[in-house]
Amino acid sequence: MDVNKLQFQYHNSGPIIRDLSTSITAGKITTIIGPNGSGKSTLLSLLAKNLQPTAGQIVLSGRDLQQFTHKELARQLAVVHQQNEAPIDLTVEKLVEFGRLPYRHLFSSETKEDHEAVAWALDCTQLTPLRKSKLVELSGGQRQRAWIAMALAQKTNLLILDEPTTYLDIYYQIELLELVRSLNERLGLTIVMVLHDVNQAVRYSDEIKVMKQGQVWAEGEPKKIISSELMQLVYDVQAVIREDEEAGFYVVPLAAKLAD
Amino acid sequence: MKKWVSFIVALCLLIGLALYSMSTGSIQIGFGELVHGLIVGDNPQVDVIRDLRLPRIFVAMLSGAALAVSGVLLQSVMRNPLADAGVIGISAGAGFASLIVTAVFPALFFFNPLFSVIGGLFACFLVYLFSWKSGLQPLRLLLVGVAINAMFTGFNQVFSSFGSSSSSAGRTAISTFNMQTWQNVDILLIYVGIALILSVFLATWCNMLALQDRTASNLGLNVMRSRIVISLIAVILASVATAVGGLIVFVGLLVPHIARQFVGSDHRILIPFSAVGGAVLILFADTLGRTIIAPIEIPASVIMMIIGGPFLIFMLLKGDRVYGR
Repeated sequence: MDVNKLQFQYHNSGPIIRDLSTSITAGKITTIIGPNGSGKSTLLSLLAKNLQPTAGQIVLSGRDLQQFTHKELARQLAVVHQQNEAPIDLTVEKLVEFGRLPYRHLFSSETKEDHEAVAWALDCTQLTPLRKSKLVELSGGQRQRAWIAMALAQKTNLLILDEPTTYLDIYYQIELLELVRSLNERLGLTIVMVLHDVNQAVRYSDEIKVMKQGQVWAEGEPKKIISSELMQLVYDVQAVIREDEEAGFYVVPLAAKLAD
Repeated sequence: MKKWVSFIVALCLLIGLALYSMSTGSIQIGFGELVHGLIVGDNPQVDVIRDLRLPRIFVAMLSGAALAVSGVLLQSVMRNPLADAGVIGISAGAGFASLIVTAVFPALFFFNPLFSVIGGLFACFLVYLFSWKSGLQPLRLLLVGVAINAMFTGFNQVFSSFGSSSSSAGRTAISTFNMQTWQNVDILLIYVGIALILSVFLATWCNMLALQDRTASNLGLNVMRSRIVISLIAVILASVATAVGGLIVFVGLLVPHIARQFVGSDHRILIPFSAVGGAVLILFADTLGRTIIAPIEIPASVIMMIIGGPFLIFMLLKGDRVYGR
C-alpha cells in the first residue's frame, strides 16, 4: 500500500494531513503513533476509505483506492474501529457472518465457503465456545476479539485496527496485541494500527510511523527511531530510553517539557 | 425456530381477527351464512358486507402493514428507534399533497398516491436536511420531525377548512376507514404490495446499517445509496397508506418496538413480522372503533393517538436501548 502526497482537510478547518507520502510494507505490523490531533486516526480513516482525500492518492495492489467499489475493497481490506455499535441481541456468530457479506449478492444465500470462513475466524480468535453468546454479555476484550473475527471472515490480506486496546484493561490489552501478532505471524496478514502506548507500539510492531501535525515525522524499525530527542520533539516530554534483558526496549516519560 | 413460530402465531391472529371483523358490525351475520353468501351471492346482507365492510378491512390491514414496515425502515436508516412516518411529518407531508390534489385537481384522483409520495419525500428531505449536521442525533431528529409535522398539519387544516364543502377533501385529516372502495384496495395492493416485497430484500442492508456507517461501508455497503433506496421505499409505504387510509400516527413506532421483543432485531424476520403486526393493530383499532359504541364510530386514527401517545412517553422514559456498544 503506497500513499502519495496525501492531503486532507474538512471544509471549515486547516489541513489535517499535509502532503503525506509513505508506504505500508506487506506482511508486516505497522503502527502509527503520535500525540492527539497529529492526524493519525485521520490517516487510518483515509487508508480505510472512510474519508476521501482532498488531494493525493492511496494505491492498493497497483490501483487507486478511489477506483475500488465498496465491495471490491471489502475483499482486500478489513477494518476494526475503535468504538463499535451493534444491536443488543446480536450474537458473536451472527456478527462474524457479517464479514461474509462482501462475497454475497442481495439474493444469494450462504455457501459452504461462508460457513468455513466463519468457523475459521471464530477459531482464530478463540471465540468458538462463545459463538452463541450475545455481544453485550461479553467482556470488553472478548467483544473486541469478536469484531476482529468479523474482519477476519472477510478473508483480506490487510487488516486495519484503530486503537484496538483503548477501552481495555491491561490484561486484555496484552491478550489482544498477542492475538494481533499471532495473526501476522501465522497468516501473514499485513496489519496497520494506531496505538496510544509507545511501549506497546515498540514491542508489537515491525515498523513505526510517528506522526505530528499531519505529517510522518519519523518512520522505521522501532528501536532505531524512538529516541529521547524524538519524544521531546513529537510529544513534548522528557523521556529516558532503556533496554534490558528482561523488559526489552522501553520508554519512560519523566516530565512534561516546560516552555522555554 | 422460535421466531418463526411467533410469526405464524401473528399470522393466525390476523386471519382470526379479519374473520371476526367481517362478521361483526351493524349487520350481524353468522360465519357460515357469510361464507355461503360470498360464494353463492344470493344474500343481500352479504352483498352489503362485500361492498362496504370487506374493502374497509383490506384497507385497514394494508395501511397498517405499510405504516409499520415504513417505521422499521425509517428507524434503521435514521438509526433512531423513535422514527415514525406519522411523528416526523412524512405522513402529514403526504396528506397535504394528497389534499391539494383532491381539492384543486379532483380529476387526477387516480394519481393521488403518486402526489402524496412526492409530498412525503419532500417532508423526509426536510427532516434529513435539518438533522443531518448533528449526525442524525436521535433527539434532534425527533424535534426537527415534530416541527415539520406541525407545519404540514397546519397547512392541512387551512386547506381542509377551505375545502370543507367537498366531501372527500377533509378525509385525509382524520381517518375513519369508512367509504372505502375496492378501487382503494387495488391501489394499496399495487403500491404497498410491491413496496413491501422490495422491503424484504432490503433487510440485509438494514442489518448492515445497524453497525454504524463506517463499519457498513468497510463491509462493502454503499451507505449513501442504500440509505436513499431504503428511505424511498419507507416514504412510498407511508405516503400511499396516508393517501388512501388517512393520517394515522404511532403505528410505525409501536409495532416495530413490540416486534423486536418477539423476533429480535434481524430485519429478515423483523420486516415481515412488523407487516403482520401492523395489519393486526390497525384492523383491531378499526374494528374496535366501529363496534364499541355503535352506531357512533371512533376513527382508528383517534384510537391510535390514544394508545400511541402514552407509549411514546413510555419509550422515552425507558431510553429504549436498541444499540449496544
